Amino acid sequence: MLQSDRRIARTCERRRTVAPMIEVDKLTKTFTVHKKEPGLAGSVRSLFRREYVHKRAVREVSFSVGEGEIVGLVGANGAGKTTIVKMLAGIIHPTSGRASVLGFTPWERDNRFRRQIALIMGQKAQLWWDLPAADCFLLLKEIYQIPEERYRSTLEYLAEALEVRDELQVQIRRLSLGERMKMELIAALLHSPRVVYLDEPTIGLDLTAQRAIRDFILRYRAEHRPAMILTSHYMEDIERLCRRIIILREGEIVFDGSLEKVMSEYAEHKIITAHLRKEEAPVGGSDGLGALGVVEESTPDLVRLRVPRGRVAETAAELLRGWPVADLAIEDVDIGTVIERIQRSRQRSQPETAKREEKP
Amino acid sequence: MRLALLWNVSSTEARKRMSYRTDFWINSLGGIAVNFSVYWFLAHALFAASGASTLGGYTPRGMVLYYVFAILMGRMVQSTEMEMGTSQDIYDGSLSRYLLYPVSYPAVKYAEQVGALAPQMIQMTLFGAVAPFLVGIPQEVHITPASVAMSLASLAVANLLHYLLLLPIQEVAFWAENVWSLVVAERFVMSLLGGLLLPLDLFPDWARQVLYWLPFPYLYSVPVRTLMGRVTVTEWATGLVIATLWCGVAAALGRLVWRRGDLQYTGVGL
Repeated sequence: MLQSDRRIARTCERRRTVAPMIEVDKLTKTFTVHKKEPGLAGSVRSLFRREYVHKRAVREVSFSVGEGEIVGLVGANGAGKTTIVKMLAGIIHPTSGRASVLGFTPWERDNRFRRQIALIMGQKAQLWWDLPAADCFLLLKEIYQIPEERYRSTLEYLAEALEVRDELQVQIRRLSLGERMKMELIAALLHSPRVVYLDEPTIGLDLTAQRAIRDFILRYRAEHRPAMILTSHYMEDIERLCRRIIILREGEIVFDGSLEKVMSEYAEHKIITAHLRKEEAPVGGSDGLGALGVVEESTPDLVRLRVPRGRVAETAAELLRGWPVADLAIEDVDIGTVIERIQRSRQRSQPETAKREEKP
Repeated sequence: MRLALLWNVSSTEARKRMSYRTDFWINSLGGIAVNFSVYWFLAHALFAASGASTLGGYTPRGMVLYYVFAILMGRMVQSTEMEMGTSQDIYDGSLSRYLLYPVSYPAVKYAEQVGALAPQMIQMTLFGAVAPFLVGIPQEVHITPASVAMSLASLAVANLLHYLLLLPIQEVAFWAENVWSLVVAERFVMSLLGGLLLPLDLFPDWARQVLYWLPFPYLYSVPVRTLMGRVTVTEWATGLVIATLWCGVAAALGRLVWRRGDLQYTGVGL
């Protein structure tokens, strides 16, 4: 991020959030899916008799998102992240519960609501495959009724920020995945939405493209202050973009709070990595390492220990005293590991309500 | 819906469709030749079997000309490549994109369909202009500038009517996912009762009287017969009114099915 971007971001951060732009109250979605036994016999049987299962994808989820906030929805596949986004974008109807986005009920699809939101899907192209991006954007200009002057300045700003000015005339299908994703971002932001849903925006991209997209999102957020919901399996996306995360498991919220809170409450350990000088033997011998913490890795020139948070200083001092330490680093446990543990350790909620029934 | 937007959607779709030159020419020459051969043999078989010199008021040459126009106009009415568009969008989740936009989905989809007709419009103009000279114009056919203009108006209504009649059937995809067989069945009924497979003049009187009040003749038979000068201005105007009323009925039914089906939509593929 540029120096100026950081300054803008800090200024925006200081502003107080007014009313939440997204409010969700006990939102629930149950899908009815038919189960088919494998094999030819199963296919034939399903022509006459079908078994249906009610799958609760989202269970009484409640949260709110304020202006300028980026909230990360985190969870394993099938945890309900995308279903929540689909409901909040107005694509599908919930089974029960209430949601208000900018004062509108999303699934009523009021045009005033749809003019103020955007959904960017990393896994599904929204642009017209056979057309150059410039033509797609012209069509979106008509769809969103963007005044000519605003359209030109916004497109110029976005194309400049994402460095795709030279690719605007190229057919979408001829662009690289990273360039295509950047065009998807431009398409979604042309009408300056106040609420943005990002569904795995960096999926499948190389590291450089991932970084470029993240930097752009941060810059856009700092300058435009939209409320954003981000779903991603990449922890780097979550760490770089979100201050607050919502962890979902089987459609339920198991954690809603800041990233710092996740680490302070759930990361019970820290990792101490010590690079050793090979030529010197440890004072206490290598056998004593086990007493300091859980040995994650031990080689003649490196030691990695997992140590309880409360004993970090003491253990570091011990290492410095008894081992020929050339360099020492103390790090938090990987956030992904912590989140994974939260998802696993929480008490399992009620088992899935699978109800069998016959349908004609 | 704003006309500028609909025009833009149509024009975008037209540009997409015309970016594939090989497909255009294969479709133009191959597709029309196959269709024409089938109908030419059918027309001659009808006359050979009956032994009559005219059938339903058509000479053999008039019947062939009817089929030439029916093929060309039928392509304009059916917009073949788009007729499964809505059910496909529901099936693969492409509908989600449209639901995000502040537009009416059926209107945008129809504008796309009209845009997709661009290649067929070129085909119709090219082949429609030369066909009467190749086949010859028999005495029972009277093509005039007025009949061409009236026929084009009927064709426009027929295209909208065809789209609206198929819409509720396609929306069954909200429940059944795959509605291909339903669409094919309806298409067959429309082709048979609309005069695409056989001129309706060959049907018994009672059947024609019943069909007069149904939407089907206004899909193919009326535009073709109007072009050939076999429809009076009064019949043509009455036909337009009936077809427009059926458009309203089909649109209302489509809206009703949409409202129920929308609740079932799962937006797969996201």
